[in-house]
Amino acid sequence: MKIAVLVKILPDDQDIQVNGDRTLDFSRAKSTVSTYDLNAIEAAAQLAAKADAQLVAVTCGPKSINDSKTRKNILSRGVDELYMLADDGLELADAYQTGRILAAMVQKIGDVDLVIAGDGSADLYAQQVDIQTAEALGWPAINGGTALDTDGTTVTVTRMLETEREVIRMPLPAVVSVAPEVALPRIAGMKDVLAAGKKPVVEFTAEELGGIAAPTIETVEILAPVPTPRKKQIFDAADEGAIDAFVAALREVM
Amino acid sequence: MDFTKTDEQELMLENLREFCDRWVTEERIQDWYDKRRVDDEVCKAYLEAGFGYMFIPEEYGGIPSDAQTLAMVVEELMRTTGATMPFMSYGLSMYDLATFGTPEQVAKGMEAYNETGQQCFSLALSEPGAGSDNQSMTATVHWDDENGTCVLNGTKTMVSHAETAPYIMFIGKDEDPSHDNKSYSMFLVPKDTPGITMAPLHKIGQTSTNFDEVYFDNVVVPQSDLLGEKGKGFKQLMHNFEIERIMLSAHSLGLAQAALEEAARYAAQRVTFGQKLFKHQLIAEKLTDMEIKCQNMRNMLYKTAWEFDNGIPVRLDSALCKRYLSTTATEVASDAMQIIGGLGYTTESKIGRIWIDARGDSFAGGTEEIMVHIAGREIVKKYASDLL
Ligand SMILES: Cc1cc2nc3c(=O)[nH]c(=O)nc-3n(C[C@H](O)[C@H](O)[C@H](O)COP(=O)(O)OP(=O)(O)OC[C@H]3O[C@@H](n4cnc5c(N)ncnc54)[C@H](O)[C@@H]3O)c2cc1C
Repeated sequence: MKIAVLVKILPDDQDIQVNGDRTLDFSRAKSTVSTYDLNAIEAAAQLAAKADAQLVAVTCGPKSINDSKTRKNILSRGVDELYMLADDGLELADAYQTGRILAAMVQKIGDVDLVIAGDGSADLYAQQVDIQTAEALGWPAINGGTALDTDGTTVTVTRMLETEREVIRMPLPAVVSVAPEVALPRIAGMKDVLAAGKKPVVEFTAEELGGIAAPTIETVEILAPVPTPRKKQIFDAADEGAIDAFVAALREVM
Repeated sequence: MDFTKTDEQELMLENLREFCDRWVTEERIQDWYDKRRVDDEVCKAYLEAGFGYMFIPEEYGGIPSDAQTLAMVVEELMRTTGATMPFMSYGLSMYDLATFGTPEQVAKGMEAYNETGQQCFSLALSEPGAGSDNQSMTATVHWDDENGTCVLNGTKTMVSHAETAPYIMFIGKDEDPSHDNKSYSMFLVPKDTPGITMAPLHKIGQTSTNFDEVYFDNVVVPQSDLLGEKGKGFKQLMHNFEIERIMLSAHSLGLAQAALEEAARYAAQRVTFGQKLFKHQLIAEKLTDMEIKCQNMRNMLYKTAWEFDNGIPVRLDSALCKRYLSTTATEVASDAMQIIGGLGYTTESKIGRIWIDARGDSFAGGTEEIMVHIAGREIVKKYASDLL
């Protein structure tokens, strides 16, 4: 059995600076693995270990994602191989373009039975790529998984709804995206970190994958929100009715 | 000159910070300091993440490592926690054992280490009458060849990890306790062997590691518990002193860096006389000198570690490191306390703990004066060997 986990590599949000005109400065931001994808990798690694499956990671994005440390980071987490398309044509890729490319990669890798994705990316959080990838592959998809299991021909996904727990079984191949609580990312062991550099990384070109699709949305601008000034309203708990006034003030802004 | 960390080193340090985030909360630290031990589950988690396997030979399940990475890991561990994490030394102890133990002894040690996550053995070297001057020790080993046993006697003191380590590494003089007897033998003895008793000593700092006086009263052990060669115990012991000094210096540096960061954050917020603290020149000067000291410490430590890794003798440099880093870390911690003011002198701030822990590094693993004792001779050898 072969499992593929979709991973986004993006600039570390801790290093992103907001310019005076509210545009974002990524120049000092180093690459990192999108937060929720770490949970997806962990869930995939646990499932692969249980099902004795091979686990590959699949990522695409602009050239800057091809960072040796980030590659090793992914490969130190129970992943056997990494497949990558690093092409500046994907600089502002929308979910449709990304889904198409990831699907082409999954097909090119071949024999993939199950694709696992994270809840959403740490930057755009569109929660679209899992569905778009499944659509391009023509595979069934389900999101919000909090537990996964497989017998090799089907995947069983548990989801927590408002008041009930839903268990769904789907035939493979399929795409499943998982909620962050599905698994706590491991602290990669030192041995795994040292071994990561020796694991295979396959780099595709856009041509090999049939090219990058035309975008379906146009990004007009990305701006940081205008900070809301503090109201500096002070309530003294000793005053009559202060607690009620405080609660009323909170209600008003919420 | 290349100061870049490798991808692997950066990832290990990130993972180490994650480990600290998950396992080493301030509440837990205080609990460990109160009860003189770190919980087994945390020691085991450290081991499972691989940090505790550094330096142990691969054939015993260890991870081949270098002194530079070890120094970075130990430094980061203290910097992140602002405390002494006893497990920093556990792997290195196993490395010691692997240096002169038989494969069976090492396997036995690894088994204990893997099971508890605690340091496999404590080192019973110092005695009430023999600290810096180890040769004055009076503990003895009597060889009873008829029964194939040895009888150990003596009082050992200031034994770190004595309560938590399953074994004790004992060193004593063969047969004769007199000062000039240079024949020492070393043994790996289970802590619960009849005749061994201990009494706690109470340190003022670094109390996350227990510390005891250990009494050996006619302790009978099989001769097969001998570590290394009969009569060569002292030489064996000296073997890994240099890497131990590098590790202890990294402990000092991590504490100093934690103090500096704590003080800088405080100075950025606290307002006196209408100004943020750091805008007062006297405080800015302190911060500046603290930063210079931390950078100097790091440069010296990394260079010594690099020399060690490249097979360059570090007898001099490891002694210089140990002296400079232990004393300077205490200075930095003291200045940090000054910047934090009266609050820094209370248990509300962790700066007191850092200061008191850093102070202990001037004794453990050789005092700052003994480092002079070593360095002085080496310096003359280095520059005036023709005159000796
Ligand atoms: C935190 C901590 C952990 C320790 N862990 C262990 C352990 O696990 N196992 C173990 O066996 N021991 C351990 N020790 C003991 C440590 O090794 C000794 O404290 C150290 O060797 C100094 O010996 P001493 O305390 O007897 O001081 P002494 O040797 O009596 O020295 C007293 C003072 O005189 C100075 N002095 C001594 N000789 C000279 C000289 N020739 N020239 C100038 N000055 C001199 C010393 O530097 C010191 O300042 C530990 C100590 C500490 C503080």
